[in-house]
Amino acid sequence: MKRYVGETTAVANRILIELIRMRRSLIFWVVFPTLMLLLFGLIYAGGGGTSKSFDATAPGILIGAALFFSCLGGPVALIVAERERRTLRRLLVSPLKPVSYFMGIVVAYMFIALGQTIIVYGIAHFFGGRFHGSILLGLVIIVLSVFSFVGAGFFFGARFTKRTEDVNGPVAAFGVPLLVLGGTFFPVSILPPYLLALAYLDPIFHMNEALKGVSALDKGPGDIVTHLIFLGAFTVLALFLGTRSYKSMLIQERKG
Amino acid sequence: MTVLEVCDLEKSFGNRTVLDKLSFSVGKNAIYGLLGPNGAGKTTTINILCSLLDADAGSVSIGGDSVSERTRHRVGFVPQEICVYQDLTCRENVFFFARIYGLQGAAIADRTKELVEMFDLHEYEDTKVASLSGGWRRRVNIAVALVHSPSVLILDEPTAGLDIEARYDLWNLIRGFREGGVSVLLTTHQMEEAEQLCSCIGILQNGRIVAEGSLDTLRALVPAKQLAVIESDDEHAVRSRAESFGWESRHYGGRLILLLPERHVLHEVVHRFNGIPLSAISLQEVGLEHAYLEATAKG
Repeated sequence: MKRYVGETTAVANRILIELIRMRRSLIFWVVFPTLMLLLFGLIYAGGGGTSKSFDATAPGILIGAALFFSCLGGPVALIVAERERRTLRRLLVSPLKPVSYFMGIVVAYMFIALGQTIIVYGIAHFFGGRFHGSILLGLVIIVLSVFSFVGAGFFFGARFTKRTEDVNGPVAAFGVPLLVLGGTFFPVSILPPYLLALAYLDPIFHMNEALKGVSALDKGPGDIVTHLIFLGAFTVLALFLGTRSYKSMLIQERKG
Repeated sequence: MTVLEVCDLEKSFGNRTVLDKLSFSVGKNAIYGLLGPNGAGKTTTINILCSLLDADAGSVSIGGDSVSERTRHRVGFVPQEICVYQDLTCRENVFFFARIYGLQGAAIADRTKELVEMFDLHEYEDTKVASLSGGWRRRVNIAVALVHSPSVLILDEPTAGLDIEARYDLWNLIRGFREGGVSVLLTTHQMEEAEQLCSCIGILQNGRIVAEGSLDTLRALVPAKQLAVIESDDEHAVRSRAESFGWESRHYGGRLILLLPERHVLHEVVHRFNGIPLSAISLQEVGLEHAYLEATAKG
């Protein structure tokens, strides 16, 4: 156990140092959700008060404009960078465990997610928006969301991207439709029944609905239990995909 | 004492045989050079030694134990490319790999200090790798492979692309590993590198060792005491005259070379080719390059 913790913290620490040194990604991950929150918050406010509008838009923006790009796009770019720098090969010949590597990425992006959460809710607070429900429950949803995003990012990074140019493709092709279907930008109430049924298979739908429920409507765990079960299942799937993908990278690396 | 033993290793990809009963061994504190043309099987051998790839048949043992994920702690691998984190400092890179290899607490700091000392990195330990010159990056690249004090260090073309000064510096470092109790397996295309560093050299061709031994043993593969390199518009006449003296000839790297069974001074050799137009002639000592060409031509 001690070994896994040591490896995980080493990987997380390294990723965070690199992100801080490079800065560009961090700046984008702050600017984009900030602008989206301001735009959607002000659009939905119409001529009336902004507090209700920011209450409702902050969770969706946090999931869809902040965590989606950092925690899904970030790991994809990370895997590609490891491949291009050939450090992946070095990691694969080391005793580093696949679970430790995956968890290291999760932990690093947990910190990024925490920072984004503070920024998004800080801005919403400035406009009168509030987090109405249990903060602890909100954090659980965010942790599960980060797990699901990182798992998906790791999977796409390992399976579908070989070069930097490949990064945007899978994120745009698979991710953006999931964002729309998940109700990030529009309420899911406008979806036709067959699309709503499909949305239940979209992790982003459950992230949005769970966080909106807790944050804007003060719902408790019992009210969002279905979403929590789905998110838990996606988390387990993410862990499975993460470790499997590490093994697939090993196979690719063997081929040179 | 043998530290690394490769025995009858076989590996095929589809119909293509890459390793064909490859066998060699590396003794304690030895530097073993694995030479061979591209596609000879060097990378496949390294991948198997690093447990990245499974062999179809044969065995590899490190310190008496079959190679597996458990022996990864005993192997240090230095890829040809600079495979360290460019945005991390030298010290941060060493720290990171130390933790990956299971070092903890004071052991990380102690090992980092030792490596900084060994690689003379004091001035650059807090400098980002991206800001270093090629030679210093190579040093960091090797340092992180030694972080867990492996018993075998695999160096894949360690000085490729370096200027001559940086290359000499690295050679001195590699020689020093032997004193630290590390056995080295080195692949290179540079004959001078193998001559300077290796206590034993194996020449790999088509997945098997076609010649092996010390530098002197390999040089003895060339049936000559000295070589005459000749340029002439009438190579046929040169070869015929050489044959009349009992001298064999070869084409090494596109150049006509005569194998002299005895040592000569230049004017004696020139005199023997009176009447044949020569545009250049020089005498050379038999080197590893010639032994390599001789072995691979036969193999």
